[in-house]
Amino acid sequence: MLRYVTLKVGRALFVVWAAFTVTFVLLFVLPANPVDLLFDPAEINSIPAEVRERVAENYGFNKPVILQYLDRLGHALTGDFGNSVQSGRPVVTAITDVLPSTLVLAAAALVLAVLIAFGIALVATATRRPWLRDLVEAWPSGAVSVPVFLSGILMLQIFSFRLGWFPSFGDDGWRSLILPLVTLAVPVAGPIAQLLVRSFRTEFAAGYVTTSWAKGATRSGIIVRDVFRNAALPALTIAGVTFGNLIAGSVITETVFARKGIGRMTQTAINTLDVPLVAGIVVLVAATFALINLIVDLICPVLDPRLRAALTAGAPA
Amino acid sequence: MSDLRSSIETAESGRRRWPWITGASVLAVLLVAGIGFAVTRGGEAGAAAGDSGAPVRGGTLQFALIDYQRSPDIHWGTNYAESLIGNNVTDKLTWQDPRTGEITPWLAEKWEYNIDLTEYTFHLRRDVTFSDGTPFDAAAVKANFDQYVHGDEKLGINPNGAVLLPGYVETATPDAYTAVVKFEKPLASFLQASSFTANAQPGFLSLNTLELSAEQRTDPTKIIGTGPFVYESWEEQVKTVLVKRPGYHWAPPAIGHTGEAYLDRIVFNTIPEASVRTGSLASGTVDATLDVGTTDEKPLADQGFTIISRGVSGTAIYFNFNSQLFPTNDIAVRKAIQLGWDRTAVEKTVLTGSYRIATSVLADSVQGYADYSNSVLKYDPAAAEKLLDDAGWVEGTDGIRAKDGKRLQLKLLGINNLVVNKPAYESVQQDLQKIGIDLQLTVVPIPDYAAQIAKAETDWNITAANRSRNDPAALNLVYAPTLGNSSYLAEGKSTGIDIAEVSDTLAKLETTLDKTRRDAYTKAAQDLLLEKYALVNPIYNPSQVIAHSPKVHGIIFDAQSRNHFVDAWKTK
Repeated sequence: MLRYVTLKVGRALFVVWAAFTVTFVLLFVLPANPVDLLFDPAEINSIPAEVRERVAENYGFNKPVILQYLDRLGHALTGDFGNSVQSGRPVVTAITDVLPSTLVLAAAALVLAVLIAFGIALVATATRRPWLRDLVEAWPSGAVSVPVFLSGILMLQIFSFRLGWFPSFGDDGWRSLILPLVTLAVPVAGPIAQLLVRSFRTEFAAGYVTTSWAKGATRSGIIVRDVFRNAALPALTIAGVTFGNLIAGSVITETVFARKGIGRMTQTAINTLDVPLVAGIVVLVAATFALINLIVDLICPVLDPRLRAALTAGAPA
Repeated sequence: MSDLRSSIETAESGRRRWPWITGASVLAVLLVAGIGFAVTRGGEAGAAAGDSGAPVRGGTLQFALIDYQRSPDIHWGTNYAESLIGNNVTDKLTWQDPRTGEITPWLAEKWEYNIDLTEYTFHLRRDVTFSDGTPFDAAAVKANFDQYVHGDEKLGINPNGAVLLPGYVETATPDAYTAVVKFEKPLASFLQASSFTANAQPGFLSLNTLELSAEQRTDPTKIIGTGPFVYESWEEQVKTVLVKRPGYHWAPPAIGHTGEAYLDRIVFNTIPEASVRTGSLASGTVDATLDVGTTDEKPLADQGFTIISRGVSGTAIYFNFNSQLFPTNDIAVRKAIQLGWDRTAVEKTVLTGSYRIATSVLADSVQGYADYSNSVLKYDPAAAEKLLDDAGWVEGTDGIRAKDGKRLQLKLLGINNLVVNKPAYESVQQDLQKIGIDLQLTVVPIPDYAAQIAKAETDWNITAANRSRNDPAALNLVYAPTLGNSSYLAEGKSTGIDIAEVSDTLAKLETTLDKTRRDAYTKAAQDLLLEKYALVNPIYNPSQVIAHSPKVHGIIFDAQSRNHFVDAWKTK
């Protein structure tokens, strides 16, 4: 058991370090110079060399790359990611400032997405009408294929500009959360629903269901009492993917709805080659990602007696 | 499914039919009804309110724009939000009249300069204070210019003004309200620079603000200026809120506004998505929006919104030719491109009434501008083809000309920050194709452009950009071989070009402020760049476009086309 935990924790730490390093390398491989991006693009040609040098010095961009890397890594280990090149604010403050806004959006979207996904799976399993089942089962792939910016703008057109039910931009309490939340939940629900529909179908064909039938249970009773519990577990394993979808979706959702958040900040930071800020965000995202997968890895044996048995017997996971 | 199970299931009585169908159809009906209702309700926004009259005091202006301030520090910045907001929080020494280009008094009541144009003496108003109560005086001017040009390494402040004030030596303060700004070399353009309102502007900050580090300056309430508004809050990515400065009474005399601003508050809302900006305007959530797309102008005007705009002063959006690289090292090719594209096609298919086709490398609002639309900047494909024929460019099998086995193909590097750029360049591309020139476009976001520009000397025949500076010396900044050198002039490599002649002609722009002489120098510089050496092919003049509700009045476009709100007001 201890070995299992150490292995998983070690792997999580490696992922975070690797993400930090790869980001750093990528930002330096990119041909643009972060110093240039502090000036008007039309002026780049006419910036005197000594001005350029002084600015580079201000941010430590003049030091050898390997020293910059070690310096940033060392500071990052103590939780200090430096200051954003573009705004001058400490990276940690900049991130913690916008993080709650993204967390609220992502958490609410996740809850809605899970509800939608279970709704779809339940309908698809419970119905005895093939056309309805086909229709509902087609929904997940449809939901994933509609671009978020399109559905977001459509929602705004209808519910904000025409009907005036919700504000069109900004962060103004729960009312400005509804539209972005639905926009983000729909594509995130897709993969979860797809997985659930399949596992519900598999479980519904399992032997114990036949037993329940034989005992005289009703169709709805079987689905809720027996199938639901067993079929829900696999959804946990794609928690990591779901988190990725939420982050990716939030970039566009936050832009369309002009909300502040990690997604939009990431986009700007990359566009302006804001090295410290990008590094901070990447570490945050990678750490969250690794943590979620770690939790899932640790929880699965608790929930699934078969895995637990394998671990206590000392076999590698 | 096993037979056993099906038989059990079918034997079960159908006592509970799942109400799916009913549910689904109710939902569908509701959805359709909702959309139908929504669609029919549209298009009743923005009916005209009371027309102008006496300005109304008070109220909040909700303003939308695409960018946000990355820091409230007005001395740095590369986007429009930063310069726009900076202009309403700080004041400058002088005000450039947007109509005439003339420099008029503001914080400086009068000024004089030595004959060499290396020393400018400003006599300051004595009744101006910063919003923290400290006086605006010569010491403040000195401290601001010193830090603006040199930066401060300990505080993490960049030398933001080094590009605007090249060769700045020092500011002397013979008395409390006289500031003498000194330069190494003649710098005629400094007088205009003292009024500069675009990115990284020389607005005055309180001594208390200048002591703060870059990090501390991200607290907007500590950014103290003398302007008609003061910061209330700044939320990165979301909005900046300014409130009226009580007791303000030093607006530039030229704009004819006395006393405080009319508005109590301005909220600059950042809305990245174009359709959300226009939708928010149409639904009344915002009162005015900047960054109106060309395709949105007409629909908004039809709905009763007012469209105001001003062409960006400085240079046009131009194609700068690389004078070293094949085939733009051939003057026949450069001249053929100037003549080879249809201006009216671009005007009709790409631009709106707010934009104009370029008739010189300078915008017509810049002093000394001359019109070349009847000489080299006109559509004359026959003349263009003759130029190419005479220079030995022969049409190949693919319709593209060639000389000594090398195709007449050119690589263009451009920025896609203005929506009009790419379609305009594509229109030029199509026309050039017809006369046998293969123009290959690479129009990319700013970071990619910045990366490529470093290799432009050897890799790109044409770089397309513009420069926002309402002074003819912008030409010197952009083209002088020792400064911007946008044509990549180099001795021995730029065949047929007298580089000393280009240097001297452009340098003269910095040597006089006598209008007649400066206009003559400006004409000579344009002649050289457009006619004699054909180093540039100007395309169109970009514009800043605002759509606002009829309730809004008095938004000013300054000489750099940035907005000032001191005179703006809103009917209730």
